[in-house]
Amino acid sequence: MDLRDRFLIFMSMCEIPNKKQEKFLECLENFSMDAVFAHPMTKKILSVDEFLKVEREYDPQVLDASIQNMKNCGIEIVTVFSEKYPKSLIDLPDRPLILYAKGDMSLLDEKCFAIVGTRMPSNYGKIITEKFAKCLAESGLVIVSGLCYGVDSIAHKSTLEVGGKTIAIIGSGFNHIYPATNVSLAREIAEKGLLLSEYPPSFEAKRYTFPRRNRIVAGVSDGVLITEAGMKSGTVHTKEFALLYGKDIFAVPGNITNSKSELTNHLIKTAQAECALSPDDIVEFYDLTKKVQEKKALSLNFDEQMIVKLLENGEQNFDFLAEKTKIPVNILNSCLTTLEIRGLIRKLPAQTYALVSS
Amino acid sequence: MLSKVLSFGLIGIDGYAVQIETDIIGGVPHFDIVGLGDTAVKEAKERVKSAIRNSGFEYPVKHYTVNLAPADIKKEGPLYDLGIAVGILSASEQIKTKKYQNFVFIGELSLDGTIKKVRGVLPILISARSLGFKNVIIPKENEEEARFIDGMNIYALHTLKEVVEFLNDETEHPIEKIQTRTFDEVVRESNNKLDFENVKGQAQAKRALEIAAAGGHNVLMIGPPGSGKSMLAKCFSGILPDLTFEEALEVTKIHSIAGELDLKKGIITERPFRTPHHTATTVSLTGGGNHSKPGEISLAHNGVLYLDEFPEYSRQLIETLRQPLEDGSITVARAMQTITYPANFTLIASMNPCPCGNYGSKDRECKCSPVQIHKYLSKISGPIMDRIDIQVEVDNITYGELNSTQKEECSADIKKRVDKARAVQLERFKNSKTYSNAKMSVPQMKKFCVLSKDCQDLMETAFTNLKLSARAHDRILKVARTIADLEGCEEIQPQHIAEAISYRGLDRKYWSI
Repeated sequence: MDLRDRFLIFMSMCEIPNKKQEKFLECLENFSMDAVFAHPMTKKILSVDEFLKVEREYDPQVLDASIQNMKNCGIEIVTVFSEKYPKSLIDLPDRPLILYAKGDMSLLDEKCFAIVGTRMPSNYGKIITEKFAKCLAESGLVIVSGLCYGVDSIAHKSTLEVGGKTIAIIGSGFNHIYPATNVSLAREIAEKGLLLSEYPPSFEAKRYTFPRRNRIVAGVSDGVLITEAGMKSGTVHTKEFALLYGKDIFAVPGNITNSKSELTNHLIKTAQAECALSPDDIVEFYDLTKKVQEKKALSLNFDEQMIVKLLENGEQNFDFLAEKTKIPVNILNSCLTTLEIRGLIRKLPAQTYALVSS
Repeated sequence: MLSKVLSFGLIGIDGYAVQIETDIIGGVPHFDIVGLGDTAVKEAKERVKSAIRNSGFEYPVKHYTVNLAPADIKKEGPLYDLGIAVGILSASEQIKTKKYQNFVFIGELSLDGTIKKVRGVLPILISARSLGFKNVIIPKENEEEARFIDGMNIYALHTLKEVVEFLNDETEHPIEKIQTRTFDEVVRESNNKLDFENVKGQAQAKRALEIAAAGGHNVLMIGPPGSGKSMLAKCFSGILPDLTFEEALEVTKIHSIAGELDLKKGIITERPFRTPHHTATTVSLTGGGNHSKPGEISLAHNGVLYLDEFPEYSRQLIETLRQPLEDGSITVARAMQTITYPANFTLIASMNPCPCGNYGSKDRECKCSPVQIHKYLSKISGPIMDRIDIQVEVDNITYGELNSTQKEECSADIKKRVDKARAVQLERFKNSKTYSNAKMSVPQMKKFCVLSKDCQDLMETAFTNLKLSARAHDRILKVARTIADLEGCEEIQPQHIAEAISYRGLDRKYWSI
């Protein structure tokens, strides 16, 4: 770890914006802090407050201690000068100069693919996100997302479920995972995949950090899939960055009356995104070999076949099934549970059942 | 002169004998009641004075001291009025015989000498009988509730004058003790109760309530506003098995103490259905307080406690339900005394899936943030969820369903199946203190919920594939046992387990995203 690395770590810990750090990199030759303070450009780049803060907080021993501390916690610090710095990010105009990582950094060298969308997906959004994530993960893509509620969480969880690799890029420090309900998911991802952030561990999420985080999501990925998102969703930022960086964008069409599918439908209409009707579209696009699923030989009884048949036209609620199949309620209940246990159908909130299409 | 008259007081739902000692001495005119009486007891002197005068008796101007023994237990309410009046009249020798010494007197006096109804007559009579007292005089208005006590001579009288004449054997017509009735003679009337016949659709919820009734399981209904949760709950008491005489007496006792008894009927024949509002205080639910009355959960004893909009109740209040749900009784400890009230009820709770109520709904959009939904659901703590066996989701029904002409099953038919399943359970748990599957202890579960190999395999795959939480395991077993009982099966079959699992909606992962 040379002086430049130390300089960047210190600057990031003092929460000096990325852009200003880039300016330093342009003009500085000697990165020892004494030289930095003495340099004439320093006072031009930093504001008074920032300058005072940097000067006040600089203590080589404290800096060493906190670097060591992070290492002890299993956090790897990768700066733009490091060999490990992801190649996909290095040429980006607004690249993060420093990355904090927990987990397997080598995942970034593999083919990464982002799945993003709304924080509050509809049942449809949940189902297709899970379907795409599982299928793409099984085809060998590393699934990237933002560890937020909704589509992000489903993408991560589904990937982990099928034993795939996933990268979560968060908009806060590792000690302040947002949302807090995902702390255990973050831990699991750190163990089995990669947890990435451009902010030091003690940094708390702020309003602006989420759009910033999205540029890394778009940056590390070869392509971005938007499963369900409205016009006001933060996903808009991810899309913008993906366009800017020249990444492939895919969108899943949705119901035109549903405001949560507005963005995806709009992207398809304006030809900004490829229309993804099934995971195969993406698998073929990248020339991946799809893992052939062995069709499980399922023996369904008459009642179960009837239920599956009715659900082929979309999700249905319990009363509808009871009325159409004429199966007594107790038998219907147990049939539905059996089908669910076998992984053929899925129970959604409010007594609704849907087919898990393969 | 000194006289000693017997009366009764109440601690919790049990009565204890109170001796009213009246001493009249000459001196400065004065009236004092000692023996830890509350304001109602202290004010008795004014009522008694007027009642004696207005009944045509003499109230000598002297120094009166009335002691309610035992003097260290707090006495509440106006039920000692009659005893005090009789005490004064015998101490002033207007009651000539000693017959009064064999009687227990209960009643409030009106200024004109009429004896008015009091709370808690039935529990007092039951305790008096078990303590060996034979003769009791009660207010005429409380006559009906005393009819179910046999082996005692109970006289229901109108006025103080009547009482004195009766004690002096001066009555024109002989006064008869009240006629007893048996429970079977009572006409069980279902007072405009809702019938499941009138609830369209909601097949799953109805089935869940049937199972709940059969096994005594607690139920949580989750659904958007206007989906009929309250209506379903109100129908529920109609499919519960009829009260037995012992149960009816217990229920009547509690209602009598709370002053909520219909005095014309005298006994409660219907399972109670209590719906305290969510602004209820903890004391109103648990009982106790200044006038130590049973709370809502005790009034729901042997019946249903329906808590609508469950998460709106204060956290503390929901948590107080933990002990009663486990023990079937509540012990209220206060500085003065510790009281135990029975509280063996079936809990039916209903809630929306999120603050706006539309989470997961097909046709209405939910406007809540994930944090709001999470916060809303987490108001119901794990330990409470642990005590609720059945979670069932209720969805809005469509207009088509509402107007469908399809005939729905009526409550009476469902009740027949419930009765049968209950009979199986009573046979199973005889010689133990358990009455229903829901209250099975762990050893009992080991004995009665044996799973075959098929069932165990199903359980295992269900747990891994559906990601059920560990606490769901025992609940599923108990509910499966009830489902098997409803079908008349000795052993639990895989389809029973499968059905039981379908009532654990909240344990599924889609609620957590």
